[in-house]
Amino acid sequence: MKTLLARIRALIRRDAVLHDIDDELRSHLEMEADANREVGMSDEDADRAARKSFGNLASIKDRAYEVRGGGFMETLLQDLRYGIRLLFKHPGFTLVAVATLAIGIGANTAIFSIVNAVLLRPFPFPQPDQIVMVSEGAGGIVSYPNFADWKDDRNLFASTSAVRSNESYNFTGGGEPERLQGRLVSAGFLSTLKVRALLGRNFVADDDRPGAIPTVLLSHAFWNRRFNADPAIVGRPITLNNQSYTVVGVLPRDFQFDLDADVTIPIGLSADRFKARGADPGIIVVARLLPNATEQQAQVALDVVYARLEQEYPSSNTGRRAYLTPMHEYFVGSARQPLLTLLGSVGLVLLIACANVANLLLVRGSTRKREISVRVALGASRWRIIRELLTGSFLLALIGAALGVLLADWGTAFIARQLPGSIPRLAEANMELRVLLFTLGASVLTGLLFGLAPALHASRLNLTDALKDGDRGSAGSRQHLRSALIVCEVALTLTLLVGAGLLIQSFFRVMQVDPGFRSDSVLTMQVSVNNPDGNQVDSFLKQLQENVRRLPGVKSVAVSNGLPLVTVNHPTYFIEGKPLPKDGAAPVANRYTVSPGYFQTMGIELVKGRIFTPQDTPTTPPVAVIDEVLAQRTFPNEDPIGKRLSQSRDFRSAYEIVGIVRHVEQYNLDNPTIRPPQFYFSFNQISPDRLPGNTRRINLLLRTDVEPTSLTSAVRAEIAALNKDQAVFNVRTMDDIVSESIAPRRFSMMLLTVFALAALLLASIGIYGTMSYAVAQRTREIGLRITLGAPRENVLRMVIGEGMKLALIGVALGLIASFALTRTMKNLLFGVSTTDPLTFLSITLMLAAVALFACWIPARRATKVAPLVALRYE
Amino acid sequence: MTNPKADLLQGTLDMLILKALSLGPLHGYGIIQRIRRMSDEMMHVEQGALYPALYRIEQRKWVKSKWGRNETGRRAKFYTLTKTGEKQLNEEEASWDRLALVVAKMREAT
Repeated sequence: MKTLLARIRALIRRDAVLHDIDDELRSHLEMEADANREVGMSDEDADRAARKSFGNLASIKDRAYEVRGGGFMETLLQDLRYGIRLLFKHPGFTLVAVATLAIGIGANTAIFSIVNAVLLRPFPFPQPDQIVMVSEGAGGIVSYPNFADWKDDRNLFASTSAVRSNESYNFTGGGEPERLQGRLVSAGFLSTLKVRALLGRNFVADDDRPGAIPTVLLSHAFWNRRFNADPAIVGRPITLNNQSYTVVGVLPRDFQFDLDADVTIPIGLSADRFKARGADPGIIVVARLLPNATEQQAQVALDVVYARLEQEYPSSNTGRRAYLTPMHEYFVGSARQPLLTLLGSVGLVLLIACANVANLLLVRGSTRKREISVRVALGASRWRIIRELLTGSFLLALIGAALGVLLADWGTAFIARQLPGSIPRLAEANMELRVLLFTLGASVLTGLLFGLAPALHASRLNLTDALKDGDRGSAGSRQHLRSALIVCEVALTLTLLVGAGLLIQSFFRVMQVDPGFRSDSVLTMQVSVNNPDGNQVDSFLKQLQENVRRLPGVKSVAVSNGLPLVTVNHPTYFIEGKPLPKDGAAPVANRYTVSPGYFQTMGIELVKGRIFTPQDTPTTPPVAVIDEVLAQRTFPNEDPIGKRLSQSRDFRSAYEIVGIVRHVEQYNLDNPTIRPPQFYFSFNQISPDRLPGNTRRINLLLRTDVEPTSLTSAVRAEIAALNKDQAVFNVRTMDDIVSESIAPRRFSMMLLTVFALAALLLASIGIYGTMSYAVAQRTREIGLRITLGAPRENVLRMVIGEGMKLALIGVALGLIASFALTRTMKNLLFGVSTTDPLTFLSITLMLAAVALFACWIPARRATKVAPLVALRYE
Repeated sequence: MTNPKADLLQGTLDMLILKALSLGPLHGYGIIQRIRRMSDEMMHVEQGALYPALYRIEQRKWVKSKWGRNETGRRAKFYTLTKTGEKQLNEEEASWDRLALVVAKMREAT
């Protein structure tokens, strides 16, 4: 406040100072005129002579004022005005510099806004650092009966809730049927997060038990969409899966937890589904630490509980432990490394942009040399000159930053649209205050970075030389500085290119991974059949496949429970005749329940034996198909065909293995270490009474010989013809599913590639600019050489050689930097080493080629110099 | 920091002004006249050079200024040498003497 007042006083003082100078100069004039009159001049002549001897009064005043100076603000305003005038005076320079900076700062702002949204911004719950996720094992999921045993233990946590996010419900009875995303939660869900319902009430313990009156909380969006935000909704019933649920409340507008859900329902209602203690039905657990308790204390207490559970339920809990992870880490931990890599890379791009603008300023510095010398001669201090030049730089940086923020705002929205689901919380990225502060900081730093060296350089000049004329005075040292900048640019660019190259290679290696199925020309969609009558479900499914198969363009049709890269069940399995595994140590496999057409539709090759046929029915002996992994792991030296597999250790229902198929990638394409055994059961063998329990979410798949999505509406029509209330959802091609599964990888790859190309562009502009300038500086010399008979090729070689010398020094430094930096990317790579020689070599060659081209253009221009023009030059 | 030649140029003007003021407080116009007389009409300082130099040495606290009236009653700003200004003048004169001596000896030597 005090300094602000001082600044304002300085602004007011400006007038006083100017007035004082004015008075003093006028008094001087008058005295001079007095003296003239004394020697006998007329009044008029005396005045005129005095004025004449004085010279340009205004300019003296200005110069005098410059020495006396104003306050900080006054000088700043003066420099800014001057800076703006200069920007308009050199529109070409301004455009290039501002565009370069806008791209550099904009890219940094965009990435930082994503980092801010994903990594820095806490989840919008009170005391978010007290919220932890509990996981049993690495999968991040918890057995529901285990959870039920300790969820109310108030020595462990202040509050807990199980959450199963990926539920779905058919909403009917209010216009068009709609497929809703749902989540199951415990009564403690909202209180654990310390969130209050916007309307109505939270769940209570009595809602969260088998046999309770079904209740539901609506999401703000769903409430708006289907009920026009009617507050009277609370207490009314809605129909989900043909069952009536009473609305008890509406969640706040910005509420978000894991996957979005239209409806939130007590998990206790369907506790029966999760009663198998050994199973992992995809339930996650969120808990709030006791007040003042640390994570370590909670972990110790939890270990005690699990030791007890192990004693009590040895068959399911042997070796089971639960681990705590801070909520933030749990949801966004995997995004940290790719994002920080991107932030680092985009920082390098900004450095290159700075180098380019510094280069431009150095060139401009040489044209302003005279002006600066005159001012120094008149007594302006070096600091004053540097300060003025830096103000100009900051001005450029701030204009660049302002445009950059616009670019970034558009860019993050674009990225979020292009790559949904690739990074958690990506959609929340916005230009909030912290991001803008970052941008401001970045631009000030940028201005200092690209402005300081040229300013120091311009202000350090040999006065008499500069005044005399020569631009050649200190051209040498300026050229040194420019050369150093070029070397840095090339080195940074090489590093970025290598990083991008490694990611691109990894991406293509992942794309080449054989997923075990053929993803082309396959359309998938999900239907949820909620009909308690198994015979009706059976005929619906058979009729549906029949009708869809008859559509033109359809080659084969299948239904399945479980889909590669999407969902699957993972039960334990046992083999007849093999020693039974210890309790809790039974191996787990992926289980797919499929119709006979599945293998053909998905393009999964049969290795041995046979696949399912329509002749396998509920009354024929149950059969199973296994994959290569299960075959190798369980039957290393024997033929699995004819052996029997069961999901229970008592072999109550056992399936004869009739065929072996290729392994399919279930979880992701880029983790070859996870190869779970897989087996298949036939849908046709499920007896009608058990069918309804297996059709909550089934996939309808068709292989087509036309563009798959062109059949979407025809298939929808067939489904509607069979049952007009049947909701259809998640219509996607298998190619889409594959592509989504590698979206995070594509995200990092694409962005880093864009940054690297931007860097390459900037660096080649830099090399081109420097070499063009060097050639222009030496026009006279080159012309002389040509006049004296030097072959033009020699001139070409000389200029290119000089440019390439810088480029190659840059490449060498860049290679060293790359070796050091790519090591930090190890976890992001797939199938390629951090020092992949092919990548390093090809990138080096590419960069050298681009540099060569950037040198060649000015070099060729140099050879075209007409000797006479060159000699007259300057 | 600054270039030695530039220092020399400015230093000379500064010294002339300080010298002029060592004879007593004076306004800008008077300083120009006094320098001319002291140099036997050989040295004329331009107004455009004088004032920036005056303000600079004022900022260095070698002189201080005060508005007053001249012999004919005109308002004018008078500059007075300060203690630091005197010291500065002595130093500069000493170094000039040294330089003049060196130059003279070198010229005699030929």
